[in-house]
Amino acid sequence: MLPNRSRLSVLIFLVPPLLLYAVAVLLPILQSLFLSFFQWDGVTDMQFVGLGNYVYMLTGDTVFWTAFLNTLGYLVICLILQLGGALLVASLLTMLRRGRELVKTLYLLPAVISTVAIAFLFQRIYSLEPAGLLNRALELIGLGGLQTAWLSDVSSVLAAVSVPEGWRFTGLYMLIIYAALLAVPQELEEAAKLDGASWWQTFWRIKFPHIRPVWITTTIIATTYALRGFDIPYLLTNGGPGQASELLTTYMYKTAFTSTDYGYASTIAVFVVIECLVAVGLILLLLRRKADA
Amino acid sequence: MTTITAPRRSASRLSPPPPRQHRRLNVQRTLTSVVVALIVVVQVYPLAWLFLTSVRTEQDFANGDPFGLPTGFTLENYSRAFSTGNLALNVLNSFIVTSGAIVLIVVLGMMAAYALQVLGFRGSKFVRGLFLIGIVVPVQIALVPLFIDYAAVNLLDTYQSIIIPLAGFSLPMSIFLFSSFYEYIPRETYEAASLDGAGPYRIFAQITFPLSLNTIVTVVMVNSIFIWNDFIFANTFVLSDGLKTIPLGLQNYIGAMGKVDWTATFAAVCVSITPLLLAFLVLNKAMIYGLSSGGSKG
Repeated sequence: MLPNRSRLSVLIFLVPPLLLYAVAVLLPILQSLFLSFFQWDGVTDMQFVGLGNYVYMLTGDTVFWTAFLNTLGYLVICLILQLGGALLVASLLTMLRRGRELVKTLYLLPAVISTVAIAFLFQRIYSLEPAGLLNRALELIGLGGLQTAWLSDVSSVLAAVSVPEGWRFTGLYMLIIYAALLAVPQELEEAAKLDGASWWQTFWRIKFPHIRPVWITTTIIATTYALRGFDIPYLLTNGGPGQASELLTTYMYKTAFTSTDYGYASTIAVFVVIECLVAVGLILLLLRRKADA
Repeated sequence: MTTITAPRRSASRLSPPPPRQHRRLNVQRTLTSVVVALIVVVQVYPLAWLFLTSVRTEQDFANGDPFGLPTGFTLENYSRAFSTGNLALNVLNSFIVTSGAIVLIVVLGMMAAYALQVLGFRGSKFVRGLFLIGIVVPVQIALVPLFIDYAAVNLLDTYQSIIIPLAGFSLPMSIFLFSSFYEYIPRETYEAASLDGAGPYRIFAQITFPLSLNTIVTVVMVNSIFIWNDFIFANTFVLSDGLKTIPLGLQNYIGAMGKVDWTATFAAVCVSITPLLLAFLVLNKAMIYGLSSGGSKG
């Protein structure tokens, strides 16, 4: 604490940021909570329905449950691509002698591109007629039988909209994990090698425990970002065909701005927030406990 | 990070491993390089393809093999991209929105971090906790309430309507980046300045702010990516063509031309990513540093 500070000076520095934050973030959260107990289309009078929206959402709305399961699938694919890919490339990178900077830059490149551009790109990559990159690549390696219209096939569409999101940010997580791996003391690794530990043992017993705190942070960031994923599914398929790629976020968006059911949309939004908080809690619980064991 | 690792790397170069291990290590290294190169090619290929498509002729794109090199080079797609859409206007709008939000994020972020970390006050833990909420909570929660609020105060369809939530949701990360940097400014610096009679405002202007320049670059770069590319807020709050930012403008390409003119669309995409790409390539050291340190501290 500065010795010469006055109460006024604290307020002068603190109030403007807090004001913006309150208007943009805190107030809307409270408003959403409030709206979730009402039925309202924005025009007629608001109607208090108590827990009605929540009861309908959890017991009566099959689209909600489809969207929820799709969101979990989307999450799993994103996490595998982002965290798995990031860990793999980061550990390979530590073994490289030259070109580390170049690989880092190239690998991060997709993160710079807007989701709209990515949606255009993948629309062409997945296309069947004319054959896009993916279908053409399958043909070239002799798997032409697997060709399909990835975005209109009900069984592949969820994976098809998840992959671009995973692809986009894996570079970001790779950088974070790479920085953590570099900070593992070399002596520990060398000692383990002298004791005859295999590469896998060195990695799992020495390196991974060392980067565990960073790993936890990264998992939390990746999970909360995947749970709020919206742009790419919305732009590529708008949840279709049917509800095959509907996520909670796209469902909420359509409920709010297509069906103008503000009350129920807020209920879904509140659920998405709770889902994020539960996910963060679970990650902390699971990964921390393993550290103690 | 670099200060710790640099000496170690040069140390291992000075003492080569024993010869028997050497050969095995070499094979392993080559293999690693090949695998990394393959992964990078897969990662970057879609982008290269995007660029190649934007300079193909239309017929070449329609009949051609997507893996083939273009048969000719043409810039016609670019002129078509500019003449059909509002590309220049969209880029301008993106600049206005991005700089508006960035100024707010940097200035307010520094102010809050200064109050929390340097001035200090009772209840600062609570305020920190409040800001933490903004990192975990998904932005979608704010869409409906903000839409209603904007409609009530006539802010729908303005630059401010996008700038406010973009700045608000990015503010917490900026505050934490500045705070964690301010932790490293030694107490004595402030005490000395205080003894010389400097008050909190002069200390902020003459000590804290000039020292923050590196962190400012990091905050600007990291947030520019997300704000320049924002789709969800712009798509929800902006309705008129005159205010559309780049992501919305791109989306219009499909509607505007009925049958999609892919080569022109891809040319427009290339134009839209150029400013960020240039900034990224020029400043990528600062950005990479910011992203990795921000993540490991956040």
